[in-house]
Amino acid sequence: MKGDQLLFQNKTILITGASSDIGLSLIEHLSAEGAKLILHTSNKQSEEKLRHLLSNIPDIVYFNCDFSKPHILEDVYLSSGLENIALDGFVNCVGVRSRRPINLIKPEHSIEVMQTNFVSFIEMIRIITKKNRFNSPLNIVTISSISSVTGGQGITIYSASKAAVDAALRCLSKELAPKGIRINSVVCGQINSKAYHEMMDSKTEQHDPILERQFLGLIEPEKVSSMVMFLLSEQSAYITGSMIPVDGGYLS
Amino acid sequence: MTNEEVISLIEETLEIESSTLNSETLLDDILEFDSMGKLSVIVMADDEFDKKLTGEQMKKFKTVGDIVMFLNA
Repeated sequence: MKGDQLLFQNKTILITGASSDIGLSLIEHLSAEGAKLILHTSNKQSEEKLRHLLSNIPDIVYFNCDFSKPHILEDVYLSSGLENIALDGFVNCVGVRSRRPINLIKPEHSIEVMQTNFVSFIEMIRIITKKNRFNSPLNIVTISSISSVTGGQGITIYSASKAAVDAALRCLSKELAPKGIRINSVVCGQINSKAYHEMMDSKTEQHDPILERQFLGLIEPEKVSSMVMFLLSEQSAYITGSMIPVDGGYLS
Repeated sequence: MTNEEVISLIEETLEIESSTLNSETLLDDILEFDSMGKLSVIVMADDEFDKKLTGEQMKKFKTVGDIVMFLNA
């Protein structure tokens, strides 16, 4: 914030997966900086919860769509009144976790995870980068994971879906640069989130070996959202096609 | 599902020869019931029985019969 000027005054930012912990942190900080928000949730129930929680923030546009069904995304997007809104930023926080050993990875499971984490993200970019649906510069940020660049037992499909997104954004950064669009990912370590604690509850071993390498400890969602805000702003004007770690030291 | 059918499903999930487990088999004695084996049983419980198994519940199981009872409850 410079003087009275808010960082995202009159900027319209779309957050998909808005009810995630990172999504909620972004909503708080982006609205404080003057952004107009469009919030996606995967179902009506999550949308209602968000509407209730955010009733004090004016002018939020909501849309809900199951990201495991990418083929219906454009119809839902347009019928939610978003056709005539031009975006300045898009943050993708959608990510279904998947832990399965190889003997239980059936094609339908792989397809569902890939559609939710990867295909729908690409579809969203196709939808929002059409003429008149964005202002230049448009900044796109997606939440990636250390699993995109390292491996772990039982997370084959999750890792592959995150790596697919990171591979795609390197290509898209080049393809979309002439339109004034930047695209980056934030490579997150273990986040102090609902999803993390649910995952730990399903384990018999309560010790998390990742935290030995993530020597700065569990990451608060606010520390990820502050990196996202930087990547959404013109302070990062020369960063595109990059994977920026917020990993508590894991990848060092 | 009969108890015998659930036991064969556990054998299949853990990739153990059929008819090697019974209700009294101690889980600690099953080599294949390691961390990936446990994850396999958690996923199988969800897929086949629509039951969410927590790590905490899993730790309480002592025998194959305990898992069968949970899944068939």
